[in-house]
Amino acid sequence: MPIVNEGLQREFEWVTRPGEQKHIGEALDLADAVMQEIAYALITGQHLEVDRITQECLNNGYTANHILDHGLLNGMAIVGVKFRDNVIFVPEVLVAARAMKAGMAHIEPILSASGIEPIGTVIMGTVKGDLHDIGKNLCIMMLRGAGWTVHDLGVDTSPEEFADAVMEFEAQVIGMSALLTTTMPNMGRTIAYFEDIGLRDEVRFMVGGAPVTREFADEMGADGYGENAVECVETASDLLDLIKELAA
Amino acid sequence: MPPGHTNGRTNGHKSHVIPANAGTDNAPNGADSNDHPPLDVEAARKSMARMAAIFRDIAQHAEESTLGRCPYKDAKSRCTAKFACDNQHFTKNPYDPPACTAKDGDLNYRSAWHTD
Repeated sequence: MPIVNEGLQREFEWVTRPGEQKHIGEALDLADAVMQEIAYALITGQHLEVDRITQECLNNGYTANHILDHGLLNGMAIVGVKFRDNVIFVPEVLVAARAMKAGMAHIEPILSASGIEPIGTVIMGTVKGDLHDIGKNLCIMMLRGAGWTVHDLGVDTSPEEFADAVMEFEAQVIGMSALLTTTMPNMGRTIAYFEDIGLRDEVRFMVGGAPVTREFADEMGADGYGENAVECVETASDLLDLIKELAA
Repeated sequence: MPPGHTNGRTNGHKSHVIPANAGTDNAPNGADSNDHPPLDVEAARKSMARMAAIFRDIAQHAEESTLGRCPYKDAKSRCTAKFACDNQHFTKNPYDPPACTAKDGDLNYRSAWHTD
């Protein structure tokens, strides 16, 4: 059906490359008015709306496949185009990603029940004393997009908070971020805390952040280092493989 | 809607479907885990791959864009950081987020961040 949602129609006008117009346009042709509503709410970062409509759609008999493809992913595809073309920037992308998460919260249990389990569980946080979160948030967005379950502890995260979260969520990997040279040592202190309480062997640590280097990561005893959000996902996967190898 | 296309509801949906409550050992409690239409597993895997690709492209562009533009600066040139920065310009309305006064292309925006 044609795009009937006026807001979505306006958003689709940002898609100007012919190939993308065809690809995304054809996908939107398969989206009815309700799926268009989800897509528009996602693009504009209305996570409560995405949450509500997704739940209603499932209650009304829509398949998870349909909502994922024609609502959530159609919206996220347009977000990606707008970001690439500098119409929106990192903060707007993260707000849209939060809306995506709100929808996926309803879809993921259905995926799991059908055998599509999350790849693993990661605890993410910016270390104690540090309030910089955008790199961490990009990593979280990437990890979730790649199929990981992520628990975000936010900024200024103490070693105790990391440990509590690992025990509560049975996470395999901890991701620690720092942007300040003054807070970087708190990564090492967190790892030391895990050693002190006997949890060090239960989890693998990956670290990142602008001033953090692979050498620093090695020195503090981290298991992995990611220079950016894409590497963060690769590192988490490598650490999970290592855990599986050791368990085998 | 094109001829032959289903509307996404259960009637008319077929191929690769397995009951959503299969493997109920892993099914979470609550409304989401039961009574929902069956899932096309193969299609869902493709969707997840598409999602990962979209986010990968976004992350790669984020790497490039943050070389010359503060990642906390939104599309309306407002600062979204939770910390102080010399480039923040507050309006008289205390509820308004501060404007970002850094120019795009400024490679040294991080030097304005308050890091103590």
